[in-house]
Amino acid sequence: MSGAKQFRAAVVIGYMLSITWLRRNLLSLVWLFATPFSLLFIITVTTGGRSFALGVIGSLLLVLSTVGTGLAGDATWYRLETKLQDFFVASPVNQLGYLLGIAFAGLFFASPALVVLLPLLVYIGLPLISLPLVLLSLAGVWLFSSAIGYLVSTFTSNLRNGWQSGLLLSVLVGILPPVFYPAEILPHNILLVTYAIPTTNAALLIRDSMGTPPTLPYWSPLIGWLLIATSLAIALAVTSRVARWRQP
Amino acid sequence: MSLSKIYHRSRTQALSDITLTIGRGEIFTLLGRNGAGKTTFLRIAATQLMPSKGRISVLGHDVRDEPLQIRSKIAVVPQEGSTIGPLTPWDHVYLTLLARGMSRNQAHERSEKTIERLELTEYRNQPADSLSGGLKQRVRVAMAVATDAELIFLDEPTLGLDAVTRRRIWGVLNEIQKEGRSILLTTHYIDEAEILSNNVAIIDHGKMVLSGSPAELLRNVKERVRVDIVGSTFSEEELSKYGRVVKLAERFRVLTDDRLGRELADEALKRGSDVGLARVSLEDLFVDLIGRAEE
Repeated sequence: MSGAKQFRAAVVIGYMLSITWLRRNLLSLVWLFATPFSLLFIITVTTGGRSFALGVIGSLLLVLSTVGTGLAGDATWYRLETKLQDFFVASPVNQLGYLLGIAFAGLFFASPALVVLLPLLVYIGLPLISLPLVLLSLAGVWLFSSAIGYLVSTFTSNLRNGWQSGLLLSVLVGILPPVFYPAEILPHNILLVTYAIPTTNAALLIRDSMGTPPTLPYWSPLIGWLLIATSLAIALAVTSRVARWRQP
Repeated sequence: MSLSKIYHRSRTQALSDITLTIGRGEIFTLLGRNGAGKTTFLRIAATQLMPSKGRISVLGHDVRDEPLQIRSKIAVVPQEGSTIGPLTPWDHVYLTLLARGMSRNQAHERSEKTIERLELTEYRNQPADSLSGGLKQRVRVAMAVATDAELIFLDEPTLGLDAVTRRRIWGVLNEIQKEGRSILLTTHYIDEAEILSNNVAIIDHGKMVLSGSPAELLRNVKERVRVDIVGSTFSEEELSKYGRVVKLAERFRVLTDDRLGRELADEALKRGSDVGLARVSLEDLFVDLIGRAEE
């Protein structure tokens, strides 16, 4: 199938595994809202509202990284329980089409939270003109997280490990890096390590777009973009070479 | 096709030099016990698993080197999968056809036809998680059958289904064959293999024991009929005068020729035993072959 048809397949798979599900199972929305909005609430309350903006940025990035890293569990379920991966391996849909499809499913699941958080971000100070670039950085985070979530799933031999890996990755990508708190408070060495994670750079770029540019060593918006692009390219390259589409 | 498979981190040879040829428009069945290697073979042929050694050509393309050319022409029903939560049978069939690249009209038409074929019309808009196991399995079969694939792989498609549902699926597979499409089926139901298949390969411990049409395979059984006798009106020694005796749970099975079979059945009726007289089947051959291998 051509690239366009693979993209169409991805949208259909995404729709199949999310919208059709959500239409008949609204309870699924609760888990996605629960963690980021709880953290936003705690941060807002404990700082007297001073870190509300950081809380919104962190929640947004946590939602997008969680639906991506959550593929470690979801894709394991599709492979081991429903055998949907086997079904699509023996079809014209290729690995990238399938990966994009299950990633779209996560994005569609996240859409209600995004509908709340993105306008909120604009309301608290993100200029509309910066919105396309912010969306691009968010897309980088979503794709990076989805690629590593899927990659891990293809090596996971039972469902419980899949969900556990997803939670662990979510903490590593969406909670521990400086997305809910200012990167400036991190020790120098740790800060440099967090530069390798796209959520860090996306959070810094959003702060920069909102008029509170971070003052950090070796970092600028251009470097932030380069780091997001590089980490995404590496994640996609490793996934396409290493992930087990056909089992060994 | 000829190949071997040793699983990653395992010393056990799952398949050993299996060689077979499947013709176009044919239903070919791999028959064997659980763990015999049927699924491994099917998964390699369906490009889901890499072979360790050997080559298979599927629809003219090498499985190892040209999987993309094969994948556009095949569909599979994997073993023991499940349907997806709240999706309806219609969602399962229609959306997978769209994902495979069909136009909306074509996907709609084929989904309608397949749902009707598998008698799912009544349930087409019900969430799959509210359906019985048999209906869910029919939905999974529908997802593969509705495609325009030239070769369909079905891995134990009737496992755990009731007799009526099994026959319904058999009917659909026969229709698929009439359309000129080929089917590779795995099963451990011997009647299924005998009724459906043009050709059967019996696999055990990763090796092919025998292959051919059901009629050809039956020529390997020297007896013509089997007599089943329930109860203890005959001793084993007495029965052995009529033919080869196989002790089954609460009955004896005697494999013999037409004349002795009829004589034994008459004698059993005279003694008031429950008796059954039938032609030998693939089941007799299978028990014979696999039982002998076990010994």
